[in-house]
Amino acid sequence: MKKLILICLCFSLLAWKLPINLSKLSKAKKGLELVSGASHQISEEEEYYIGRAVAANILSQYPLWKNNDLTRYLNLIGKALVLKSERPEIFGGYHFGLLDSNEANAFSAPGGIIFLTRGIVIMAENEDELAAILAHEIQHVAAKDPLKAIKSQRMKALGTFAAGEAIGSSNQVFSIFQDSVLDITGTLLQKGYSRGQEKNADLQALDLLLATGYEPRALLSMLQKVKAVEKKKVKAFSAHPSAAKRIAYVEDNLKPAVNKDGNGARMARFKLIVSRHKN
Amino acid sequence: MLLMAGKVLVVRVMRSNLQAKPDFLSSSLAAIEKGAKLELIETQGNWFLVRTAGGLKGYIHQTAVAESKTSLSGIMPGKKGASEDELALAAKGFNEGNEKKLRGSKGFNFADVDWVIDWNISNPALAAFLREGKLK
Repeated sequence: MKKLILICLCFSLLAWKLPINLSKLSKAKKGLELVSGASHQISEEEEYYIGRAVAANILSQYPLWKNNDLTRYLNLIGKALVLKSERPEIFGGYHFGLLDSNEANAFSAPGGIIFLTRGIVIMAENEDELAAILAHEIQHVAAKDPLKAIKSQRMKALGTFAAGEAIGSSNQVFSIFQDSVLDITGTLLQKGYSRGQEKNADLQALDLLLATGYEPRALLSMLQKVKAVEKKKVKAFSAHPSAAKRIAYVEDNLKPAVNKDGNGARMARFKLIVSRHKN
Repeated sequence: MLLMAGKVLVVRVMRSNLQAKPDFLSSSLAAIEKGAKLELIETQGNWFLVRTAGGLKGYIHQTAVAESKTSLSGIMPGKKGASEDELALAAKGFNEGNEKKLRGSKGFNFADVDWVIDWNISNPALAAFLREGKLK
């Protein structure tokens, strides 16, 4: 089963396509050429609503794994990390869910909805490794990386509407909303963040793990597992830079940990909740 | 956020808690909702000691609030604050109305988003989890 899981990684992405109305997109683009003015600054409330739409789109591509024990465990680990993050309070709070996919991957929607796939959960060998993946995704949210995927022309157009000249143009705002969802989901599922954004999320994740009492080296061990899978010519974290590149700078920036006191208790609960799903 | 005592803060998250201490895991004195006005008493690290319109004192994390343009009188019940203009401006961007238009569309599964968001971890459960795992 484990082999099967590792082999069945992420080919579904190739078939991924957003249900977008191309004629609408074309009209919106024409409109965008006409507007000018200050770019709209997305508020945390707007981040929440666009994040919900991005998450809804991801959940139309990947089925949700409604496993109560695992979802609760993931939320406990995630919220433990969030307490030490630079954005502990966001509009709708952080929420962690599981995708029923053998692909090894993780996604963070704007506004703090974070998904891990069954494949990546099963790949982890202890709680600290699960925390490492979550810490990386939390740092993307903290840095508002998903929002940076939205094309700047859309925010310029929205800035003009928000200034009051086009209050009645709710359909145009809705078009920009849809297109922004497309920008973000395309980046999360296909294009990927920039190398700089990924490196920043990895390095900030090391600090977050340390601050929470998790072993930062767990990020390195998780990346080594991904690298081993990549060697088998199977894609994992397909929208991320190669694991080999990430390992190099993570190794260079590892800080001596650590808090080994809780390793036994953390392993016991990991085995109880996660290990039975490995076969 | 460096602010002077006496400033009025507005809660910008959907909901938060007024904490007894500058610590998320301290006891919660009251639930605070978006738009609530708080008077700043003093800053302690990343936390603000604040007073609610009802006179309750407690701590709120600085990421949960923004500086309001409202005068102090604006936090009193029955008076109109400038924040209403701020809220009206925000309503012109991405909001619940956009989501309503998307609901039911092919390619958007909001029912399962709600399943994920409905998960709530209580502070006592989180505190026990941290304690058991020797986390900070």
